[in-house]
Amino acid sequence: MTDHTVTRREFLKRGTGAVIVAGAAAAGGYLLYDPEGDAGLYHPSEADLRLRNYFADIDWPASNPRISIATGGEDRIDQMVKAAVGGLDPSQGIGRLIGKKDVVLIKPNVGFDRAPRLGATTNPEVLRWVIRLCKEAGAEKIVVADNPIEAPDACFAKSRTREVAQAEGARVILPSKIHFETLVIRDRQPDPQNREALGRWPIFHRPLVEATKVIGLAPIKDHNLCSASMNMKNWYGLLGGRRNQFHQAIHDIVSDLGMMMSPTLVIADGTRVMMKNGPTGGRASDVKAGGEIGRPTIVASVDQVACDAWCYQHLLGRDPAKLAYLDLAKKKIGEQIAQGTKRFGESNWKEYQTQGKIVTTKV
Amino acid sequence: MANTHPRKGKVKVTRFRDTWLNSLRITTIRIVVQAVIFGLFLSFILLTTFANLDRLPGLKAWVSKILEVDPLVAIATAITTHTVYKGLLWSLVILIPTLFLGRFFCNWVCPYGTLHQFVGWLFRKLKPRDTIEINRYYKFQHVKFYVLTAMLIAAVFGTLQIGLLDPICLIYRSFTGAIIPAANMPAQEIFGDYKLHQGAWLIGFVIFGLVAMNLMIPRFFCRVLCPLGALLGVLSRFAWWRIERDPDKCTDCDLCLMNCEGASDPHTQLRMSECFVCFNCIEDCPEDALSFAFLPPKEHEVPHTDIPRRRAVLAAIIGVLFFPFVRASGRSTRDFSAGMIRPPGSVEELEFLERCIKCDQCIRVCPTNVLQPALFEGGLEGLWTPIMNFRMGHCQLNCTACGQVCPTGAIQRVSVEEKLGIGDYVDQGPIILGTAHFDTGRCLPYSKNIPCVVCEEVCPTSPKAIHAEREMRIVRDGKKMVVSSTENTLQLSEWPEPGQKVGTPALFNINQWQGDETTKYFVSVKHQDGLTETRRIAGNDVDTLKIDGRFARQPEVGTAVIIQLEFKIPRIDTSLCIGCGICEKECPVVGDRRAVYVTAEGETRSQHYRQPDRNRSLRLMKIASSGTGASSRSGSSACGTGGGCGSKGVEHKIDLRKFLA
Repeated sequence: MTDHTVTRREFLKRGTGAVIVAGAAAAGGYLLYDPEGDAGLYHPSEADLRLRNYFADIDWPASNPRISIATGGEDRIDQMVKAAVGGLDPSQGIGRLIGKKDVVLIKPNVGFDRAPRLGATTNPEVLRWVIRLCKEAGAEKIVVADNPIEAPDACFAKSRTREVAQAEGARVILPSKIHFETLVIRDRQPDPQNREALGRWPIFHRPLVEATKVIGLAPIKDHNLCSASMNMKNWYGLLGGRRNQFHQAIHDIVSDLGMMMSPTLVIADGTRVMMKNGPTGGRASDVKAGGEIGRPTIVASVDQVACDAWCYQHLLGRDPAKLAYLDLAKKKIGEQIAQGTKRFGESNWKEYQTQGKIVTTKV
Repeated sequence: MANTHPRKGKVKVTRFRDTWLNSLRITTIRIVVQAVIFGLFLSFILLTTFANLDRLPGLKAWVSKILEVDPLVAIATAITTHTVYKGLLWSLVILIPTLFLGRFFCNWVCPYGTLHQFVGWLFRKLKPRDTIEINRYYKFQHVKFYVLTAMLIAAVFGTLQIGLLDPICLIYRSFTGAIIPAANMPAQEIFGDYKLHQGAWLIGFVIFGLVAMNLMIPRFFCRVLCPLGALLGVLSRFAWWRIERDPDKCTDCDLCLMNCEGASDPHTQLRMSECFVCFNCIEDCPEDALSFAFLPPKEHEVPHTDIPRRRAVLAAIIGVLFFPFVRASGRSTRDFSAGMIRPPGSVEELEFLERCIKCDQCIRVCPTNVLQPALFEGGLEGLWTPIMNFRMGHCQLNCTACGQVCPTGAIQRVSVEEKLGIGDYVDQGPIILGTAHFDTGRCLPYSKNIPCVVCEEVCPTSPKAIHAEREMRIVRDGKKMVVSSTENTLQLSEWPEPGQKVGTPALFNINQWQGDETTKYFVSVKHQDGLTETRRIAGNDVDTLKIDGRFARQPEVGTAVIIQLEFKIPRIDTSLCIGCGICEKECPVVGDRRAVYVTAEGETRSQHYRQPDRNRSLRLMKIASSGTGASSRSGSSACGTGGGCGSKGVEHKIDLRKFLA
């Protein structure tokens, strides 16, 4: 054994160290203590993110038409887009809807990896002229986004959406996991008995963050489940999560989408209408230019329900009274309006069909 | 990197003494070259994405270039296939200079070697004495020659395994399978979603383990395991230039071993098969005794590999036995796995195993993440070869990117027209990857009476291979008895089972049977005389059904009625299915297995093993019903959706029964 003394300094150093670590461990244990054993379980986000109402800022004269139709040809898409949108407001045209400083989200349907001629995606030429129209109206920034079923890169390439959008100076946002946020679509749990589908749901939110105006730009297509994929079904591309589970109640979800999104404007692309084998198509014979009208058609409207009804009847040649999601959307939007939400008033789509609020232009 | 000596400006390589380069050290030049080539490797692999190839089609000639210059890939595939596939001729760019300069590839070109050298330089800190000892030549460096021998002998029999350890394949695979996704995970904000790969942990741990070995033995992989290094080492025996020691100047200080990368004994007779031509020894020699000399005296070198002949024979025997051992498991022939579906344009399985070098470039470029590195789905032979997992993604219809980047033709460079059987390829039909099947016990409409048919929605063929038929089903406890009736209402009681009281009132939820657009409820009445009438139910209260329309004859009290539902049930027309797997990917039954799934049944590429089997099971239906096999595809595509195909399906079944009898 050797003679050994501990210095006071050494004793204090070690003692202080031990006390600090013991104190930290005790404090940490106290702060993180979970007596019930469930504090660490997953709790859904309580954040109250909601979609904005993109029609709320619009001052829309009651005398304006609800639906504006332009028919023409593949070589005159520029004039058709201008005529269709311009027809909605004879005095100000697009300026009524889009102003300076607006950030516009254009939502085409880029759901599939298909060439434009197959009609499964929005005609890129229509997209081009819609972007130009927004720029003419003074929009500060234009964003083009969709959440396709197939690989986003391939869909945006094959449909030529990216090429056209970028050539026109719009920003393209492809979906990525981190671009989704859980939004409150409905304050309560959806009630399937009441034909409701969405409560809180992950939404492709990134392109919506800075958008002040939203334009839906949907091709008109046959659909194996809900009979037609048009303006309201187009908002499906904003959903994330396991969105395919809704196909068990397709009319509920499509009408919920109509309720969820209050767009500034919808433009139906009836240049290449998919008449059968939808929504994927795949053969040129599945597609008919202008559908039952027979001439390439573009329909602009501030009333997506009425616009869907019109397109269903005149482009696809089917009976809108039998399309269940129209009436469901009418009911749901009607409830919103009753609660004081400013919507265009899509609940009255049947009346617009008959009240002469439709203008038609031939280009 | 390895050369950390602070001496400046002193160039001892005779060749460069009189040039402008004399202010530069040759090791500095080497480090720059290594960095540039590593940068190229990194750029190529990062650029290997569908979006980039779509934007810049010229890229596809470049992204696999470093694999194409690998002489082991060229030689081994030449052994298995007796051909040199397209870009593999580029390997001469490495092979020919090696014959003159030795294994310069290992320390000037190989990105994997650069990675090892860099990690060793960064983390390995040994005492100088220990460093010199570990950099001497050891007999365990023979192992790489045994690895090379066994792999090449196995290749003679037709199983290509060089990809397991070839450094270029290994680094490509590791970056694709583990490193890029790992780097991408925290950087999603910038680069978007990261890909998932089955067995990524294994690929990651293999490269981590091999690289970490540098802390104990410098360049462990390169010295001991690398089959490409072994091949280049064998070729080095003919080299015209090599490191030469001047015994008159040498003081035997062994400082040349301080930074010797290859452990090639420059302090005595140089082992030509081990020298990486890194020039560190020349830099380190304080006596100017070393130089890179042209055809120096033969007695100063060990030109051959010096492996014991009996061990070489044993290695060859391992190679000989490997083939029957793996083939005898039958995984690539009769007992093929249901999950082994190869990418579009893949050659037949046995030929695939002759060509695939497991570099996983196809997996890197795949836009949907469907391509996955196999574990043992294809047997031991197929480890890390590409297979499709339709839970991860699906085969994108208009994409053939995997074949475009494949350096060895395991996946052929098919065009989109050829893949889809359009344009010039109409007669040939589309490339079939497999066939979709329903697991009817899991499928929502089949077994759970829940409407769905998402599979039909996403099916990309035209007409759709998956189509839906309306079907009537009796609902649970659907048999009731009429208590009273009007022309459009029916008051019902429970149908009395034996021993039950007659007249128990039926208890329904209000509007339970109203239905909607996708699910329609009907009530069928069987009149006393046997006539059956079926009407849609418009609504109900607790015990009374309201009928849409009216009965032709009012049902009598006591008549039996059944309540049925009608909705869409999906069906598959196998003559149209191409096995793209989007149905499986999008199927909402996601818990564990999907209700619709694809197997390699009937894949186009299989000439010897699988296709006859599909002919017996699935293809037979088509052949039997439409005459000849060749024209059957165009024949069946004339069949529209819905009813037409359904009636055809009945004919098919009858033919199959005939065949089985």
